[in-house]
Amino acid sequence: MNGNVLIEVNGLKKHYNKGTVKALDGVNCVVHKGEVLVIIGPSGSGKSTLLRSLNLLEIPTGGSILFDGVDITDPKTNINLHRQKMGMVFQHFNLFPHMTVLRNMTIAPVKLLHKPVAEAEKKAMELLTRVGLADRANAYPSQLSGGQKQRVAIVRALCMEPEVMLFDEPTSALDPEMVGEVLDVMKELAREGMTMVVVTHEMGFAREVADRVIFMSDGVIIEEGSPKEIFESPKEERTKNFLKCVL
Amino acid sequence: MVSVVLHGSFLVYPEVKINKRKGMVISMTVISTTAITDWFSSSLADFGAKLQMVFVEEDRYQQMIRGFLNTLQITAGALGVGIIIGIVVAAIRSSYDKNKESLKLRGGVGYHILRILNLICRFYLTVIRGTPVVVQLMIAYLIIFASSKNGVPVAIFAFGVNSGAYVAEIFRGGIMSIDGGQFEAGRSLGFNYLQTMWHIIIPQMFKAVLPTLCNEFIALLKETSVAGYVGVVDLTKAGNIIAGRTFNYFIPLFTVALVYLALVVILSWLVGRLERRLRRSER
Repeated sequence: MNGNVLIEVNGLKKHYNKGTVKALDGVNCVVHKGEVLVIIGPSGSGKSTLLRSLNLLEIPTGGSILFDGVDITDPKTNINLHRQKMGMVFQHFNLFPHMTVLRNMTIAPVKLLHKPVAEAEKKAMELLTRVGLADRANAYPSQLSGGQKQRVAIVRALCMEPEVMLFDEPTSALDPEMVGEVLDVMKELAREGMTMVVVTHEMGFAREVADRVIFMSDGVIIEEGSPKEIFESPKEERTKNFLKCVL
Repeated sequence: MVSVVLHGSFLVYPEVKINKRKGMVISMTVISTTAITDWFSSSLADFGAKLQMVFVEEDRYQQMIRGFLNTLQITAGALGVGIIIGIVVAAIRSSYDKNKESLKLRGGVGYHILRILNLICRFYLTVIRGTPVVVQLMIAYLIIFASSKNGVPVAIFAFGVNSGAYVAEIFRGGIMSIDGGQFEAGRSLGFNYLQTMWHIIIPQMFKAVLPTLCNEFIALLKETSVAGYVGVVDLTKAGNIIAGRTFNYFIPLFTVALVYLALVVILSWLVGRLERRLRRSER
């Protein structure tokens, strides 16, 4: 089991204002290779903070995160190298508006992995073809719809060939009719065996795709288990209340 | 105003005024046209002679050209120096503002280095923005580079350091206006802070600040007119020298003014074109 662990979070804390606000208050969890872990919970529960801590976009105030067995919270660790192996998809896409879709996708592999431009572009075109956007390679982000932007954001992260993909509410900023196309890409990714950590409000997606679901509230993990356990027979009162509201 | 020609030698200007008490008043001004043409042709010849005296005699036009080239050289040089200083200072200042909390949490020396750099930058901004550019120029020429015989490089240095302070704050404003998500996207791909700045933030920032930056460049171009204080013959100084030699102030000073105006118009036009080009991605 241990050789199978990709990320291990131990006693993670994120306190603001000298401890009066506790976004994360001692979180322990693991992410196994090849699994899809979905984090759910009410807003302000700390689920986004937890996800963003995994690649240190948020610096935790306590605890540790082991990625591939290396403690990335240690100041001596070169976090930039580890981030290359952790793809991230944001709620607001965060595509680079001054670059074409193709350049958005190739800049990191070319500058960081020193791939030849032609090779990076070939890989990017393959990925774009898979998500049905090959014809938009030379468009600028402002010319794309929300769903298209998010699909580009996903394949941009994939261009770095990451070991894990982190999704921070990837469909929350989308018009309802565009949610499906993004979820479809994520489902396909899951089928291919990509390790994924997903913060989402899409309970349907969690139920269908997740291997494991974590329910968070007030900065701690309240309950975790298979989608079946969480959605059909939740043990904790707070989980039940939350699910009653969203289902 | 309508002019009517009478008898071939008089001009009549009818002028209509509305007066509260008297109602409409039409007054006529009659000027002899021969007087005008006489005045005009004589002053034209006079003007030609003055131009000849001001620019051609003793090859004074060459002084004007030298001054013009010096002004261009100082402005272009100071622009370059200012942009480099501006980018560095703005990067340090905005990096400190954005990252001090997380760096403090990360521990290590990074936070302290950045804090000291930020203090140095703030000191620089305060001093440069708090003192007149002429004083800075004279300090540079007469104290810092007292051994220098050539004023132009010293002027480039002084105006560059001065402009850098203003450019830095323009750039900092631009950097702070870029959505934080752009930083996060860059960092999450594995770019370090400087790479994210260089590839992702600065190109967007530059587009955002271009109109303000253009303003600063126009101001800089005109500010270089005080270079004469340290013995540099720039455009203004050249005009002034010629005016002093020929006792004609009108022609040299208006020529100088027109050249500055033309330069500013050309610069604004070029920046406008650049702006349109950069806006391509916003279609």
